[in-house]
Amino acid sequence: MLQIYTSGATSGSFRGGKQKKGNVTSEQEEEEQPLQAVLVADSFNRRFFPISKDQPRALLPLGNVAMIDYTLEFLTSTGVQETFVFCCWMSNKIKDHLLKSKWCRPTSPNVVHIITSDLYRSLGDVLRDVDAKNLVRNDFILVYGDVVSNIDVSQALQEHRHRRKVDKNISVMTMVFKESSPGHKTRCEEDDVIVAMDSKSKRVLHYQKTQGLKKLQFPMNIFQHGSDEFEIRHDLLDCHISICSPQVAELFTDNFDYQTRNDFVRGILVNEEILGNQIHLYVTQDGYGARVSNLQMYDSVSLDMVRRWVYPLTPEANFTDQQGQGCTHSRHNVYRGAEVSLGHGSQMEENVLIGRDTSIGANCHISNSVIGNNCTIGDNVVLDRAHMWNNVHVSSNVEIHQSVVCDGAVVKEAVRLNKQCVLAYNVVIGPNLSLPEGTVVSMHHPEEEEEDDDDEFLSDDQEVGHSKDKTRQKAFNPAEVGPEGKGYIWKASMNDTEDEELAQCLWGLVLNPDPESDSESEASEESQDRTFQLEVLGTLQRGLEENIVCDNLVLEINSLKYAYNITLKEVMQILTRVVLEYPFQQQGTQLTTLQYTGSLLPLLKTWSPVFKNYIKRAQDHLDCLSAVEELFLEQDTHQTAMVKVLMKMYQLEILEEEAILKWFSTGATNDKSRQLRKNQGVMRRMSLWRKESEEDESSEEGECGR
Amino acid sequence: MGSAIEAKTHKNMPGADKEADLTERIEAFLADLKRGGCGTGPIRGSGETARETTALLRKVTAQARWSSAGDLMEIIRKEGRRMTAAQPSETTVGNMVLRVLKIIREEYARSRGSSEETDQQESLHKLLTSGGLSEENFRQHFVHLKANVIEAINELLTELEGTTDNIAMQALEHIHSNEVIMTVGRSRTVEAFLKDAARKRKFHVIVAECAPFCQGHEMATNLSKASIETTVIADAAIFAVMSRVNKVIIGTQTVLANGGLRAVNGTHTVALAARHHSTPLIVCAPMFKLSPQFPNEEDTFHKFVSPHEVLPFTEGEILSKVNVHCPVFDYVPPELITLFISNIGGNAPSYIYRLMSELYHPEDHDL
Repeated sequence: MLQIYTSGATSGSFRGGKQKKGNVTSEQEEEEQPLQAVLVADSFNRRFFPISKDQPRALLPLGNVAMIDYTLEFLTSTGVQETFVFCCWMSNKIKDHLLKSKWCRPTSPNVVHIITSDLYRSLGDVLRDVDAKNLVRNDFILVYGDVVSNIDVSQALQEHRHRRKVDKNISVMTMVFKESSPGHKTRCEEDDVIVAMDSKSKRVLHYQKTQGLKKLQFPMNIFQHGSDEFEIRHDLLDCHISICSPQVAELFTDNFDYQTRNDFVRGILVNEEILGNQIHLYVTQDGYGARVSNLQMYDSVSLDMVRRWVYPLTPEANFTDQQGQGCTHSRHNVYRGAEVSLGHGSQMEENVLIGRDTSIGANCHISNSVIGNNCTIGDNVVLDRAHMWNNVHVSSNVEIHQSVVCDGAVVKEAVRLNKQCVLAYNVVIGPNLSLPEGTVVSMHHPEEEEEDDDDEFLSDDQEVGHSKDKTRQKAFNPAEVGPEGKGYIWKASMNDTEDEELAQCLWGLVLNPDPESDSESEASEESQDRTFQLEVLGTLQRGLEENIVCDNLVLEINSLKYAYNITLKEVMQILTRVVLEYPFQQQGTQLTTLQYTGSLLPLLKTWSPVFKNYIKRAQDHLDCLSAVEELFLEQDTHQTAMVKVLMKMYQLEILEEEAILKWFSTGATNDKSRQLRKNQGVMRRMSLWRKESEEDESSEEGECGR
Repeated sequence: MGSAIEAKTHKNMPGADKEADLTERIEAFLADLKRGGCGTGPIRGSGETARETTALLRKVTAQARWSSAGDLMEIIRKEGRRMTAAQPSETTVGNMVLRVLKIIREEYARSRGSSEETDQQESLHKLLTSGGLSEENFRQHFVHLKANVIEAINELLTELEGTTDNIAMQALEHIHSNEVIMTVGRSRTVEAFLKDAARKRKFHVIVAECAPFCQGHEMATNLSKASIETTVIADAAIFAVMSRVNKVIIGTQTVLANGGLRAVNGTHTVALAARHHSTPLIVCAPMFKLSPQFPNEEDTFHKFVSPHEVLPFTEGEILSKVNVHCPVFDYVPPELITLFISNIGGNAPSYIYRLMSELYHPEDHDL
């Protein structure tokens, strides 16, 4: 039973063979209310580039089985009867894979519908399409195509349904989390969250990603909301499995700015009072659930799987039911497929999975590795935490540590791959070469990436074929890939800061703080910023003239934010700028410093609620301070006013002392020392003033009033 | 004639639908087997698995398209191979397939008119004379074969349903008043056995908890509900307590061809301690657990499950530094076992080979 919908750019619709049967069952299902699932087979980011340039992430092999198969098996085993697979990037490959798999056999208990469109850019787009097509009729499970799990969610499902029955339509989503203490290998640092929840009702009160935050803030209302007990938990691993009510899709349609689940959760929590929707949590201790969101996670999940944490989804179970995929399991978690040959003196120490028809030479040491089908490995090879996919050739005397080697790659004699190297598809390396840590080699020239950049943004979708011939003409650099090598160092032609970020991004070590702002095209943004700034100025002016309450001002600015598609960070910076420039706007640029501060300080006081609304997290404080700094660097005649502005902002509790101190200390190390020196007088006064205020809290008022 | 018409109707419209239904049933069963056995062993008891397998094979017999016994056996073998591959540790599935194959052979022989006895007996003389007659013989067509086979499978099902009761009925012969009995983990058969004895006699049961899954706790609760005096001990205390024990009564997952056991982890400890103290070790095992498999003859002998029970996932950092394994089964060699109690009576381990040849046809041993 299979139905394929196509929409957007792909034209025409093709329906699977057993149309009649499909209709019959769907009628039956109507009565039984089958459990449905939405599987998003696209990551909407480029963390796996350049690997995912050739193969969508959902099809990358994990333990020699495509990741999407794990997700589908998880869904099927929880009793899902109807799954909608949404594909965007390389949807044809995913479609082909699914058509060949057991999920599309007529006997499959889980009916898989494949829906493809090139227009999906985020999870939000997918769910809006779910709503538009009216696909879900009941509670559904929402997962990504790279989730590996054996969690029994039936309990969570039951709780969710019970909650929905008790108070109608209040709970919209139940997120499944797994308990695991911080420092666990399988915890993804990007997904680290801190959650405040009601102990009894399991309602989420506060949800925050902790990545990169040194200080956490909790709104007061979670302490006051009247529950007896609540928990603040940081020992949770986000499994990226959520049980959603049909309203979730509607809510995504209503709020067209929701892009990710994170946006959604935050949005729901912020608007809880108004809309009355709640989000709940299901915390489990049993089972295993993780999302392969970067290569670091790929490494740990793959190892977890070989170590049988995901039982019964183990390699020897052959749950995909494919011919020849079976393998045997013996002590120390060594798995061998059919026709594996192992040379004299070779050792498979522990946690090794070897696919079928792979031959291994003499005196090799293999541990914690996964080797795909049809690989040949020479003599004296050392593999530790190596992930080799299919048809890889490794010559003798090679050492590979914690690296990924994709399909068809060739590693020549005496090559050493240090930690976190990636050899993408069909790359040839060596001989006699040692790749430094974190090297990514790909057949795609990095420049083609830049050419693509204009029309391509967040999603992994792009036609790469057209640039292939161009790539061929560029010569390979023997210093990088060895005398017989083929391939380009992926990061080489990027500018310095960016390449560092990208390489580590792949492994998920250091995180790109704001991937969205990076990818938007700069040119149009500038002009949008400009208009937005003018609009904000107009709003504030009107606010002053007509004595509009600050709350309404905030509302207006918020709607402007959506209209111009401006991030929160930019809103704050622009707001700061507008307010600080306000006296110049009104009275011309020839003001003296004294006049300037005189007119500015009352304004700050009036608008302080507006500021407070936008400046909440520690990062916001720093962003605001940098905006202030930037402005005063431009208006260098008025630098002495800066200290007063900061003081006032501190007094009005717009800015926090720690933030100012931190900015001060980091500001001192900033590169532009010339301007800093000019600032120094200001700084000294500030630090002096702060010290005083620390020493004598009670005299703070007097000091500040100076 | 009659069957020819029947075969025709099969080929027409209801046939395809029935077959689709059948494959769906089989797929569902396979998927169930594959997923079954998270952690604490199968969700169903092996008795239930045996019944389900047999019922499914009966359905195959009734609904699949076949014209001679040879065809049917081929179909059953094919499905049987898939079922056993789905969960190799669940040997009852394979055993039931063998039983059904044997039934088909017997029914075929009876239809042909040759007596069962001569067909069953293996002798050197027969091997020499009969040559390559085996498979071609099953090509002959018989009108009533299908009905007969189904009837025989129904008998097998009735037998399966009565096994636990049959074993429990023998309890009073083995358990005497004021005895101290040790058992390990949880076995439905042993539970019924002890409960049956408790109707007439007073005795004391010591249950080893059987970490890490601690099925022993459940066993102890069930026994004490039946007002049997029950004590739970840690696995480490088995040897110390053994000196007080009069009899050890355990269940098993599989009885192997050599008379050894594949039983839950910790059984070997109990058996060795019993041997040291010369305490009799009695194994309650219905006949459907008898498997033609020998120990360690293949890699599928063991079953390793998620190490979660040994070292919880919540532990965090240490998990990346250690390797944790969680095997489920122990092998208990036959010399440590005193007696098997099956639904057809008590037998010594040395007699198992004989039962094996009665239950299964030697040609079927590997599917």
